[in-house]
Amino acid sequence: MASLSQVLLGPVAALGRATRDALASVGRVARFAGQGIAAALTPPWYPRQILSQFLSVGFYSLPVVGLTAWFTGAALALNIYSGGDRFNASTVMPQIVALGITRELGPVLAALMLAGRVASAMASEIGAMRATEQVDAMVTLSTDPRRYLIAPRLIAATISLPLLTLITDIIGIAGGMQVSHYLIDLAPGIYVTNTVDFITAWDVESGLIKAAVFGFIIGLMGCFHGDNAKGGARGVGRATTSAMVSAAVLILASDYLLTSVFARP
Amino acid sequence: MRGNWGETILGLAVLAFAGIFLAYALGVTGMGKQGATYELTARFGEAGGIQPGAKVTVSGVKVGDVREVTIDPKTFLAVMRLTLDDKVKLPSDSTAKITSDGLLGGAHIAIAPGGAADDLKPGGEIANTQGAVDLFGLIGQVMRPKSDAPAEKPAPAASPSAAPKGTADLPEM
Repeated sequence: MASLSQVLLGPVAALGRATRDALASVGRVARFAGQGIAAALTPPWYPRQILSQFLSVGFYSLPVVGLTAWFTGAALALNIYSGGDRFNASTVMPQIVALGITRELGPVLAALMLAGRVASAMASEIGAMRATEQVDAMVTLSTDPRRYLIAPRLIAATISLPLLTLITDIIGIAGGMQVSHYLIDLAPGIYVTNTVDFITAWDVESGLIKAAVFGFIIGLMGCFHGDNAKGGARGVGRATTSAMVSAAVLILASDYLLTSVFARP
Repeated sequence: MRGNWGETILGLAVLAFAGIFLAYALGVTGMGKQGATYELTARFGEAGGIQPGAKVTVSGVKVGDVREVTIDPKTFLAVMRLTLDDKVKLPSDSTAKITSDGLLGGAHIAIAPGGAADDLKPGGEIANTQGAVDLFGLIGQVMRPKSDAPAEKPAPAASPSAAPKGTADLPEM
């Protein structure tokens, strides 16, 4: 009769195990994040590492992010012009483009591009170092890998994504202006004046706050999955994929949460 | 980090483009040249759609903007702090009026200069104000001009005896 109770309780036990595993992995990420933040906020820092991460995360992402922003702004302007025409809203196209870019699309698209470009690179870099026992060697040389590897990446990602978002906002609006100039024949001066008169500082600021959170998520996911990579080259590959996917999912989920906090009047 | 000059140049180009566009935008809107300003306050009975950042105009030309909109808890008037261009000195009997560019949106404050010899001092208050017009209230009045009158008149006419009875019940209860 033990088998009957096993049959009956089997699914429940499996559910419990899955729940416990999920909670445990949330706990592992949280502990990793706490240690990372502690390492990032307290000395000693490694300025060379931080600078080189700023270059690779921030500066070298500029071309990709700029192109994304330009095309998004242009497509958004075109869509709102043709779609908004149905209820005579095409005249407020500059304002809607500005709102959409600064509040939502600028931070989210820059973050998603960075998740693809940076989170995966971080995971594969740290994962490869784990696989080849370079991280263990670092510990032997009494260098804390959290301070040397994790903290510079968290700092660089959290600070450079808001800066990239600022560039995204500007270039996205420029993309919208280009479309409105060549296809709709709206003078660039009028487009820019409408935009600047309309957007408030908070539209931009809320986007930048979002971007800082997204940047932290990207750094955290990249480092966490890299640090937990197991099983050689295959493990590194898996870590790279899950870093990118989990960063993207967390970015979009936290985007909704942050927006619902910011959108209150 | 060495060796990828192409990427470095591309990154610099993106930054330069963003900078040029920003400079152009600031130039077009005149936000870059932040000249000397002074502040005035004005109280309105109805703020309408005025938000911080709304334009302040004289004869349709922008001379400043609205810094802050608050409510006076005693008088329940909307108090607006305005920042105006230092070059525009307004006579002390100027009138501030909330108007809008079109039917929907574009609310701004239009100031009609008065004829007084003395000017409003920085930090002074525009005494003559005219709040926003409740457009939909006006439309409602035009569309149903006698909506109040018929509703009141038939009631006492139809039941002259019922009304006193109803009121007489109250003290007894």
